[in-house]
Amino acid sequence: MTPQEHRAKAEKIERSLAKCGSADYEMKIEGAMLAGTHWVNLVLHRMGVTPQQGDVLHTYMLTVNELRRLRVADPETLDALSEIEDIRPAYVRGNHAGGEQAGERAIRLLAALRKKAVVKA
Amino acid sequence: MNVTSHLDKITKLEALRARLDRMEDFELWFWTAMNAGTHAVNAALHHAGITRPDDVFPMQPGVYLVPQPDASLKPAYCPLGDILHVGRPKVEGDIPADIAEMMKNMEAIEHHRDPCIRGEREPTEAIAVECNRALGRVLDLLAARMKGTRS
Repeated sequence: MTPQEHRAKAEKIERSLAKCGSADYEMKIEGAMLAGTHWVNLVLHRMGVTPQQGDVLHTYMLTVNELRRLRVADPETLDALSEIEDIRPAYVRGNHAGGEQAGERAIRLLAALRKKAVVKA
Repeated sequence: MNVTSHLDKITKLEALRARLDRMEDFELWFWTAMNAGTHAVNAALHHAGITRPDDVFPMQPGVYLVPQPDASLKPAYCPLGDILHVGRPKVEGDIPADIAEMMKNMEAIEHHRDPCIRGEREPTEAIAVECNRALGRVLDLLAARMKGTRS
């Protein structure tokens, strides 16, 4: 996808996230992951590190070597997305205590990703 | 998770999905439906005794986060409990017909996941209607199983 398409998708998902309350933490986390992935792809495409035909889906599905390569370009961005992804098992798939705080953390990480992506755009 | 916890998640997700517009919010609406359906399949698999209803949370096939006495979480290799998606991992053995139909409907939903959510395919009303119908069938089948009357 083009950087413009990633931005449009990310912003659309963020508009939907605004309809989630604190109790909807599962989808706040999932929406942050989806929108955040689009922001990460925008950053990587703009930096010329990944082609528009080679979007990252999840950081944990990259080879270790590829993740290391992408982190050279922008470690903070990749690490923020990884942290959002790591929140998912306990609170989206599971019911571990602290879901609302986890949802807020995911939204803060998404805001940081958006800030970096928009600055770089 | 145990069956009740899956049912609680479905209730929450369906309440949110009802507040989202299936076109204006398609991505989150779709993802909410996909999550609800996956919880339904997990609940049915536990109910049938095919997978374990342990309160451990899947990270990837075969690896689960396990709550510790101090409330922390520790990754560990565990027997098959909750699946992440239908097919991830594949559930071996004889699958009852109602659960097989649930899985088939989930595959119909997941077919649209990458093109519409990750890719540039524009979601359409027809896709939303198809996903809504498929999830409805999944939830109906689960409800029938919970009542003990397989439809």
